[in-house]
Amino acid sequence: MSSGASAERLGEAWAELRENPGRSVLQALGVILGVASVLAGFSIADSMRRQSEQFHVKQGGLDKLNVYPRAVAKDGPRGALETANLGLRWADAPAGAALDPGAVAGISVRRHATAQVRSAFTAQERQLTGIGADFIAMDGYTVALGRGFSAAEQEAGAPLAILGASAGRSFFPGGDAVGGTLAVGGIPVTVVGAFRERVFRFSPSDSNIFCWKNRIIALPAVFVQKRLQADPHLRLDQVAFRLPDLGRMQDFSRRLATLLQANHRSQRDFRLDDVAARIKRQQSQGQIYDLVFLLSGVLALLGGGLVNVNIQMAALRERVREVGLKMALGASGREVFKGFMVEALMLTALGAALGLGAGVLFSWALTAMLGVPLVMRPDSFAWAFLLAAAFGFAFALYPAWKASRLSPMEALRYE
Amino acid sequence: MPAIETRGITKVYGAEGSSVHALRGIDLRVEAGEMLALVGPSGSGKSTLMAILGCLDHPSQGSFALDGQPVEGLSGPELARIRNQKIGFVFQACNLLPRATVARNVELPMLYAGVPGSARRRRALELLEQVGLADKAGRLPGELSGGQKQRVSIARSLANRPSILLADEPTGALDSHTGSEILELFGQLNAQGNTVILVTHDPGIAARTGRQVELRDGLIAGERRA
Repeated sequence: MSSGASAERLGEAWAELRENPGRSVLQALGVILGVASVLAGFSIADSMRRQSEQFHVKQGGLDKLNVYPRAVAKDGPRGALETANLGLRWADAPAGAALDPGAVAGISVRRHATAQVRSAFTAQERQLTGIGADFIAMDGYTVALGRGFSAAEQEAGAPLAILGASAGRSFFPGGDAVGGTLAVGGIPVTVVGAFRERVFRFSPSDSNIFCWKNRIIALPAVFVQKRLQADPHLRLDQVAFRLPDLGRMQDFSRRLATLLQANHRSQRDFRLDDVAARIKRQQSQGQIYDLVFLLSGVLALLGGGLVNVNIQMAALRERVREVGLKMALGASGREVFKGFMVEALMLTALGAALGLGAGVLFSWALTAMLGVPLVMRPDSFAWAFLLAAAFGFAFALYPAWKASRLSPMEALRYE
Repeated sequence: MPAIETRGITKVYGAEGSSVHALRGIDLRVEAGEMLALVGPSGSGKSTLMAILGCLDHPSQGSFALDGQPVEGLSGPELARIRNQKIGFVFQACNLLPRATVARNVELPMLYAGVPGSARRRRALELLEQVGLADKAGRLPGELSGGQKQRVSIARSLANRPSILLADEPTGALDSHTGSEILELFGQLNAQGNTVILVTHDPGIAARTGRQVELRDGLIAGERRA
């Protein structure tokens, strides 16, 4: 075969496959299952990763550097220096932002306290959240009714509150929280706003894992520090910096650590938490699952390939006379080899295409069952296809070589 | 120039000690356009000789030329080209691909010769017309009678216009009437200039050729010309 050889070979291979449907389907099945499992494995890992990202975005975003206070001495009595140290405090927030004003797009501060909260309907011992600066936006809250705190009110520590959805329902069952009054630690506080209800479920049947966020009773941080805790140093439980350009995060984080340590009497009494890096770390730990899925797919392809070699060898026994005949009619050993290879590769390509379809269906069904958003990357398709092609090629070699080595006379006489 | 010329062809199967001498030194000259029969009982070596003449097998010793071209020492692909271009095979069992249509079976030698698809199809239909089976082009071999299958096999053997037709017991599986028709077809092909070599153990069939070469125990035991 010399002219238009490739097209002819493809046509012939297609005719052979069509003329032997049972054998072709059996051979393709191994490839279909292998490709489907590689693709589905990748897709499920990607889908889970995407869901985890969505969770963190809903949580308030990935572009945050959180700073928390940390005990310097974990065991034994604290030294004089440690006792004198003030820990994380309000002054650290603007000092940190000043390090790189171009990169820092927001600051959020938080101070927790516990106090008796009383309304006309109920009195409960509740945790309070003193908030400052851009807390509402950076923590993923939105004010649904009423308003937030003005800068002046935050600075002055005005006796105002914004309630989470379930806190509002607890203290004002009638739904008229905004404008109502609470007694917080005995101090009258006016409710000026209500947060929109926060909801996040991993699957529609799961309970709302943001339920606790709706219990928030937000007050100006300065109010909590000064009025409830009488803290002249305005200590904080969390300062968060928002840096939309994640590329600048590492440098900022390093400079912030140096600055805070210098300002905290050379003690590392704080802990930095780079959210994006943490998620990335978690996800890279999750890459072991990618590998497991990839390996299971590779094993399926390997198994399918070995089954194919057996089918090909059994088929070759059936086809010995046919090969002998083709050689008698002028096919060289090389031609027979190429014919077998093209058939096997065409079958692999068809099986891989069907396997990709089956993989999409598997992924869709599994993610729908798990309630995870379906994510399928083009490189997952490419990987699945390339693996199948590589295995298809490798496993086709031996039967094709055996066929090409047959003696035409012996093949024709084969019973 | 003779179509076929062999000198001292031997063929030994098996290892030394348990070897079988299928051919013991054959000198044969077949002129172009001749029609001859290789006759002899089973085991006389006639099928082995045909396989060697058809370049399907190598002789153990001796020299052999087709159309004046020495064949011994040629590589596998070169022998394949000779089988494809110079020789047309007709087998007792027809050896048609069972799942390929009649036309595709006839096209097969042209496929290995690199003839483009449309020319192949045209030539296959022309040959089927010649053997009286133009209307069966789209059928599968299983749908044909024994005689029709052998006609398809003959059409296939003519695909690349070979100079030599080698037929191994071509009527062995056919009834006498159909067999006679097939022999008539070979006669016509010979009349058109093809060299035809029939292998048969049937003296009646051999008698319909111009020359009979009798083999016995791997040697030429006699020769008769009409």
